[in-house]
Amino acid sequence: MKVLSKDKVTALLDKIAQQAAVFVPMANENGSGFYPWNDEHKTRPLLLNALNVYTSPKYVLFPQTERMYDLKQQGQDLSIGQTHEDGSKRVIFGVRACDARAIRCLDDVFLTRGFVDSFYQARRDNVTLIGNACYAPGVNCFCEAMGVAMTEPETDIILRDAGDEGYIWEVKTEPGEKLTQAVAEFLSDKELKAPEAKAFQTQVDYAGVAEKLKGMFDDPIWERMSQPCVNCGACTYICPSCHCFDIQVKMWGDQGYRFRCWDSCMYAEYTAEAGGGNPRPTGVERFRNRFLHKLQFFNERYGYALCTGCGRCTIVCPTGVRITDIIKEIKEVDSSVEL
Amino acid sequence: MSNCNCEQPLVPHIVEVINIVEETPDVKSFYVRNVGGGLPYQVMPGQCSMLSLPVGEGMFSCTWQEGQEYQQYAIKRVGLLTEELHRIEVGQKLGLRGPYGNGFPVEASKGKDMLFIAGGIGLAPLRSFIKYCFKNRADYGKITIIYGSRSYNDLCFKNELFEEWPKEPDTEVYITIDNPEEAWNGHVGFVPAYVEELAPDPAGKVSVTCGPPIMIKFALQSLQKLGFKDEQIITTLEMRMKCGIGKCGRCNIGSQYICLDGPVFDLTQLKQLPQEW
Repeated sequence: MKVLSKDKVTALLDKIAQQAAVFVPMANENGSGFYPWNDEHKTRPLLLNALNVYTSPKYVLFPQTERMYDLKQQGQDLSIGQTHEDGSKRVIFGVRACDARAIRCLDDVFLTRGFVDSFYQARRDNVTLIGNACYAPGVNCFCEAMGVAMTEPETDIILRDAGDEGYIWEVKTEPGEKLTQAVAEFLSDKELKAPEAKAFQTQVDYAGVAEKLKGMFDDPIWERMSQPCVNCGACTYICPSCHCFDIQVKMWGDQGYRFRCWDSCMYAEYTAEAGGGNPRPTGVERFRNRFLHKLQFFNERYGYALCTGCGRCTIVCPTGVRITDIIKEIKEVDSSVEL
Repeated sequence: MSNCNCEQPLVPHIVEVINIVEETPDVKSFYVRNVGGGLPYQVMPGQCSMLSLPVGEGMFSCTWQEGQEYQQYAIKRVGLLTEELHRIEVGQKLGLRGPYGNGFPVEASKGKDMLFIAGGIGLAPLRSFIKYCFKNRADYGKITIIYGSRSYNDLCFKNELFEEWPKEPDTEVYITIDNPEEAWNGHVGFVPAYVEELAPDPAGKVSVTCGPPIMIKFALQSLQKLGFKDEQIITTLEMRMKCGIGKCGRCNIGSQYICLDGPVFDLTQLKQLPQEW
């Protein structure tokens, strides 16, 4: 098998960085995230043995703000200038299984069901994902309950940390093979054993929840569970699979550009209509929609949950809302009682 | 078949406004075509387009597409973008992308009697289907139109309502306004109540309803009371939209996106969805 010894990691990243922008989990001043492996950032501590870092690599494929096309207005004239699909080569190194699953969610949203989003596609077609298998889930991790195999990230290459001896380098796809050939000089042939997977510390039982929720839209549980939520939207911005966006414009005089940016279903404005109506007028409806989208609606549309069990929303929530508790409460509702 | 920018569905192409008709004090119809002429793309009745000025984009139901020449959009002045649209003049260029949504079941309704129920600007989407029926008159049975708005002034497409449509063969047009007015000799009252009063026979009919959400809710109840079956009750919904292609998230009702899976649903489908519209 192919092995990447740990003392060769930075040299390998340097090599890949000659041909592509490489995004690597690193520490920052107040947390951690995926940073480009370049002169500005590569002095940061690498975090390949941390579990999922504080911010996910979602932004590499779906930037928080993405310029779409330029606009020009002159009197009654209006013209569309350049469009900004960005198909430059990128590699994301060290993707955990939860974040890889989140990318699959984005793929289904942006690339299937009638329309292909050209901005997402340009990035997606030109990114190679190098996964980092998990063997010791963290205290907030529950990916397995959401149907994600922590040791099998859905990526082009999987790294398996076999301790001091290095990483097992497992090629899974054609693009993975191509990248492997380009960095062959850093890989050696050796037989290593992947570590034993440890048990999850957080027990979550999602089985049957999507189906059960179909009958719980009007359940009083939402009123109660949404009480602590202050609709800050932090969970939606930190979430690796939240894909909702707004389209806005920036104009200086008669020119500018249309861009999209992450939006949040937690905000009243998200569904506020020009005529004054709002189908989700209070925090209760917005909270309910967010969790139903994660646990039921996406499942009905695409066949699996929009929550990947990464645990980030639990960490950032200022009021202690835990999606794991919500799943538990849903399970505990006596659905035999007619509402 | 069209200029749908399917390769870049979020990027509009530029069209020009060739006519603007003031329908009511706050509704104008905009006639748009490709710059220099030609239909931007084929829109079926009930389908929508994203129209844009630099200030923003908005989803509007195409109220009619005449032959191969231009599309019409009847737009009520309610917000930032529509305020701007109401200020533009003929010759203005707009961004346009589409067509979006499933549209009305024009094929499945063939051979049926048609009952159209509309309130206020809700006539705009239905008009595309009504005019489609007139254009293909032999394909449809009797046509009944029940339409109401707050006041006489707020009735859209008055010439068609009072002059053209009543003259069409086998067609009845019933008009009501919410409150009495001195010069008004017609019916006064809300649309759903008028529907119940007129009590159209459900046999062989398809009903299509559009209006403010509250009117739709009551009209659907009235139709059920009159004995219309769920699959005979069709409506078109709207919510705030940004992308129009089922990606940006906000226009969902349950797992369905109004922009993509709708905007047209029958009551069988609506009953499967959460009551959040």
